[in-house]
Amino acid sequence: MTDNIPSRRRARSWTAPAALLATSAVLTLAACGGPAASSASSASSAGGTGSASGVVNITWQTMWSGETLTLLNQMVTQFNKTHPDIHVTESNIPSATGDAKLLSEIAAGDPPDVFTEWNPVLGEYAADGTIQSMSPYLTGTYAGLEKWEYPIALQGGEYKGALYALPMSMNSWALYYNKSMLTAAGISSPPTTLAQLYADQAKEWKTPGGKLEQIGFDPDAGDNAGFEYYGSFFGAVNCFSSAGKYSFETCPAATTEANWLAQYDNYPLSDVEAMQAAYGAVAGGQDDPFVAGKEGFDMDGPWEGAQNIPVTNPSMNSNFGVEAFPGTVGQPSTFGQGNYNIIPKGAANPQAAFTFAAWLAGYDNATFTAQMDPKGGWMPASPSIVQQPAYQAWLKANPWLNVFVSQMSSSASVAPALTASESEFETAEATATEDIAERSKTPQQALVYIDQQANSAAGG
Amino acid sequence: MQMTTRAVIPALRSPGSRRLWLGLLFVSPWIIGFCGFYLYPFLATLYYSFTSFTGIGNPTFTGLANFDSLIHDTTFRTALFNTFYYTVVEVPFSTVAALGLAMLLNMNVRGQAFYRTLFYIPSIVPVVASSLIFVWIFQPSFGIVNALLADVHVNGPAWFFSITWSKPTFILLGLWGMGQPMVIYLAALQGVPKEMYEVAALEGAGPWQRLRYVTIPMISPIILFNVILSLVLSIQYFTQAQVIESPVGSPGNSTMFYVTYYYQQAFQYLHLGYASAMAFLLFILVLIVTVVLLKTSSRWVYYENEER
Repeated sequence: MTDNIPSRRRARSWTAPAALLATSAVLTLAACGGPAASSASSASSAGGTGSASGVVNITWQTMWSGETLTLLNQMVTQFNKTHPDIHVTESNIPSATGDAKLLSEIAAGDPPDVFTEWNPVLGEYAADGTIQSMSPYLTGTYAGLEKWEYPIALQGGEYKGALYALPMSMNSWALYYNKSMLTAAGISSPPTTLAQLYADQAKEWKTPGGKLEQIGFDPDAGDNAGFEYYGSFFGAVNCFSSAGKYSFETCPAATTEANWLAQYDNYPLSDVEAMQAAYGAVAGGQDDPFVAGKEGFDMDGPWEGAQNIPVTNPSMNSNFGVEAFPGTVGQPSTFGQGNYNIIPKGAANPQAAFTFAAWLAGYDNATFTAQMDPKGGWMPASPSIVQQPAYQAWLKANPWLNVFVSQMSSSASVAPALTASESEFETAEATATEDIAERSKTPQQALVYIDQQANSAAGG
Repeated sequence: MQMTTRAVIPALRSPGSRRLWLGLLFVSPWIIGFCGFYLYPFLATLYYSFTSFTGIGNPTFTGLANFDSLIHDTTFRTALFNTFYYTVVEVPFSTVAALGLAMLLNMNVRGQAFYRTLFYIPSIVPVVASSLIFVWIFQPSFGIVNALLADVHVNGPAWFFSITWSKPTFILLGLWGMGQPMVIYLAALQGVPKEMYEVAALEGAGPWQRLRYVTIPMISPIILFNVILSLVLSIQYFTQAQVIESPVGSPGNSTMFYVTYYYQQAFQYLHLGYASAMAFLLFILVLIVTVVLLKTSSRWVYYENEER
């Protein structure tokens, strides 16, 4: 039957499938490559020198969600209003896939111009060229930017002496205490030494019949647990050998800190972690045993009192106080980390991106930033923001915040040096802290473990 | 040369070839999708497994260095053991539980539809949501499980947060999602001819013998299907462990599963070459397990229309 088909008709029957096959292939490829191609063309039209209208369009990508997005929108609106030559478009991506998405965008040649990132990972990014140095832009108006920042804010964005990131919101850590639990335990004032803290918190544990009902204090559990977070209180943050390797094993301050952590190994870590996880599983993770009124002492940041407590348990609003965390360095201190803005490799408009990142840090924008930081519960990047009337009003209304702010300029405060294996170090110190608490490693073994893991980052 | 061309063209225009090309045309969306989203990523992963690569710039060829590092990586060995433990215990456990439940729901009782719906509903709850709920259910101090145990004077453990109990707790959590295989078993049970049970009963077979010699052989292809599916999912266990444990793998790396470690290497440390080597080994592992299971299945799987 088919043999009777005329040859022209047969030829046509071949042409149609071939054309359809080619069309479907082209459509599929176009669907995959479409956005990148269009972005590339729009980027080239903006081209760092501006579009036809003279406005440079830049994109800002963040991993924030919830209430913070309202703040980000306000910031973008304000920037666009005050900078008619630059237009910012903000987008959000889930934090769980944020880093992977950024890398994909860079690999595809279509990264955002500005990306907000938790700074410990920046050492890796700077080491392999994922992000651009900002040092070339520190001229003219921006010549004084580095000195304008708090020293720990500046350190958090530097890799091998070059500036790679500008802070948007900084952290500061202090000791929260539950007033009514303190009174119930017969303690008249919060502790000012490590020995007092241990003795006071010991009076607050409640474990009737082996069931954990109330925690005194446990430095080994919770989101802020870990050797690293307590490092500044002991002067044990940047322990490196002369060869630039992690060397906590040979660092006396690190040994002191590890021994202090081991002091708490008689408390039921599993139960404490279970309680932390249970409270963390509600209210979008903003709750914890301290917020719930189940923990006597907590080492935490300003957002605990400024956001978590008012939002999830307002009854605690007048039932907490804050003091500098006692340590061995002789003065209040904090461990400097925060959310920083970076310019990814291949960003279309790095100059405009830098202008926006500096503005977000509050440089030449202190008045507006002083209004935004309190809403986010954020520590500022510079003392000049603190001096603004809006920030002072926030401090006056919440005097406990002064502890956090004053620590930012303490000479004992320190930011962890950005390294290419910071992520491995963070995981190792968290595991080591847990090992100490579970007595599966001695403090010295835990320090050896941290050095080994951080220095021998596996594979490539 | 001319001879060859002349010889080829008529061959292409033959009816058989045309049918082949038309067939290829109709499956071309699948072929393109397969090549773009499966074959290329697979080959790329294989290539990257021999390189040092962070996702940016050019990968550096390192030969077998990643595989050598894996052999000496103690966390990798722990992750492999944890995954093996979970798979070996969870697969039989969930298979028996799902099959048993399907048999119960296959009985003619009042409210049968209600019970079927009730037992299926958990499997449509998002995994992240159910994981967070189970954090509360297994909370050692005020969770419902330990409260019930306390009523019978048993001191419940710390479940997810105990080195000893963390993996068994994840296995228990796995039962929450057994509605899916249960429904498949239920459909298979309803396909077993009633006459076979009647004949077996006439021959004097009791309930156990009917199960052993009628039910199980008749649904054995479905059991094989569910076991393979369950094995592959167990080897790739990830979401629940990632959501519940912080830091990932705690306590004491007792919940560091293969894929959670892979995820950590790939997306936390950006060791994409190392992670690619892990992904390739995972593929080999799943392939071996599946092939072994399929090869041995001829001994215990009964196909009704099969000639033996």
